[in-house]
Amino acid sequence: MPRGYRQIDHTADLALEVWAESEEELLAAGAQALTEIMTEGARIEPRSERDVAIDGIDAADRLVQWLNEIVVAAVVDGFLFHSAAIQLEPPGRLRARVRGEPDAGARVVAELKSATYHDLELGRAGDTWRARVVIDV
Amino acid sequence: MPIELEHIDEYRHRIPQRGAMRVPGLIYASGELLADIREDRSPEQVVNVATLPGILGHSIAMPDIHWGYGFPIGGVAAFDPDEGVLSPGGVGYDINCGVRLLRSRLDRRELDGRLADLASALHRAIPSGVGSTSRRALSAAELRRVLVRGARWAVEQGHGSAEDLAHAEEGGCIDGADPDQVSPRAQERGRPQLGSLGSGNHFCELGAVDEIYDAEAARAFGLAEGMVTVLIHSGSRGLGYQVCDDSLRTMLRAADRYRIALPDRQLAAAPLTSDEARRYLAAMACAINYAFANRQMMTDAVRRAMERFTGRADLGLELVYDVCHNIAKWERHSVNGDQRTVCVHRKGATRAFGPGHPDVPEDYRAVGQPVLVPGDMGRYSYVLRGTEQAMRETWGSSCHGAGRRMSRAQARRSARGRPIFRELEERGIFVRSDSAGTVAEEIPEAYKDVAEVIDVMDGAGIARKVARLVPLAVVKG
Repeated sequence: MPRGYRQIDHTADLALEVWAESEEELLAAGAQALTEIMTEGARIEPRSERDVAIDGIDAADRLVQWLNEIVVAAVVDGFLFHSAAIQLEPPGRLRARVRGEPDAGARVVAELKSATYHDLELGRAGDTWRARVVIDV
Repeated sequence: MPIELEHIDEYRHRIPQRGAMRVPGLIYASGELLADIREDRSPEQVVNVATLPGILGHSIAMPDIHWGYGFPIGGVAAFDPDEGVLSPGGVGYDINCGVRLLRSRLDRRELDGRLADLASALHRAIPSGVGSTSRRALSAAELRRVLVRGARWAVEQGHGSAEDLAHAEEGGCIDGADPDQVSPRAQERGRPQLGSLGSGNHFCELGAVDEIYDAEAARAFGLAEGMVTVLIHSGSRGLGYQVCDDSLRTMLRAADRYRIALPDRQLAAAPLTSDEARRYLAAMACAINYAFANRQMMTDAVRRAMERFTGRADLGLELVYDVCHNIAKWERHSVNGDQRTVCVHRKGATRAFGPGHPDVPEDYRAVGQPVLVPGDMGRYSYVLRGTEQAMRETWGSSCHGAGRRMSRAQARRSARGRPIFRELEERGIFVRSDSAGTVAEEIPEAYKDVAEVIDVMDGAGIARKVARLVPLAVVKG
């Protein structure tokens, strides 16, 4: 299982488990997961690009900020994530060029308020990076 | 690790002070609700809150408590102004999510056979659903006025009356708002959304008074059996989420700087005396005011839609009260016998001030503040009144709702293949929503029976039952 995600039942909110072969891939997989949930699996066309810059406290903070960038881009600007070229630097820096579909806000059918720091897990076991994030819905 | 509980009485359960806890925990629940509560991790969250610096009394949990992030949902905590902290995770993302109740001169029988059309009319009148927007975006300057003036702004624009303001917590406008503390992105999110319901558990529900438990209080609140009522549940929309999100980053750095040990990062907090806390209070006040104005704008939309629908201008759709569910603010309370100003955090809890309190509107002061507790869309909601007991035990706070029993995914599974709209219609409830998915997640059985929650509050003497409302027509976000 090189890259993927699953939803975990959480009474009031939504918890996601995401895995990938690198931390960069993991961030992309998380963004893709949120986009699939928000659009209920709509097909996204990479017709546009935008840059994202994050200077987080550490890797966990960077993950939360990154996911929130993806949510806000969708609900505020109507920009839906397709893929990204991501560069990371410790402790919490991220520079990314995101490809996605602009003017597609109408395809967001499920509201996500925010990724949270609650119960956040991020780490590597063997060749697999894994994260668990609780999303406020 | 299971959390140790001492049973004080039928409704009160104490978590003894252990380890890093600075105060004990106190959970209000019946035996049955407690069994549910122990199945999730909310008691652990009660313990986490008890470790925060300057917490006073108890880390309190209401009977509708459930697992949130940071504070449990249904959590109440007060902090010392000098030693204590402010935590955005003790307020939540939807700052001043709250509920208001309108009464009317209409009797439910007058709407017989017309509820389906009225439900549709309300659905058309109130922008609802994911990313819902008002008919006109505010200019940047107008938004700043909303953030400072709250529901007063809406009333000044002709969307309500001074009477509305007199019947809202904080008069529909909290002091200390500073729009310069609200990020450009939060402002951008707020401009197009004023007067919209949003999605999830937000709703506008036309209902009727079904039962009166306390005739004197019901009379004071202007409620009578058979009367048509309207409940509006919504918050500060994207602006509030963004204010919370922006503040967490600042608070994480602050917690580090002030050496506040965090058992959960979502509890990120700063000393109440710090610049970080002052700036969050000023930004949160803006979101609080935005939410007050938002509910006021929807009230106006409901009034107009109902007048158009009935062809009557004398419907008497007056505001009974407007309460906040997610908030932190300065209040005067008795601490070990002294009256002091403390910072009360309510996350999924309702203020429930008792009789005689100067912050209770004059016409209700003899009976106590109205406490509005929505249930699910298929059963009922309650109107309670605050008590002296709440002032003594819970910083004048009560429960806020039923609490979920099923996760959203479970609810969707349970609703799959079922004609939910028709099932509810057969019970006389007409539901309208842009999203069948939302309705599936909000099916009645996804929630605990709010009556069980209410019985705990009433039995413990924290808030007394006044009236029960039943749903007739529901617009879901």
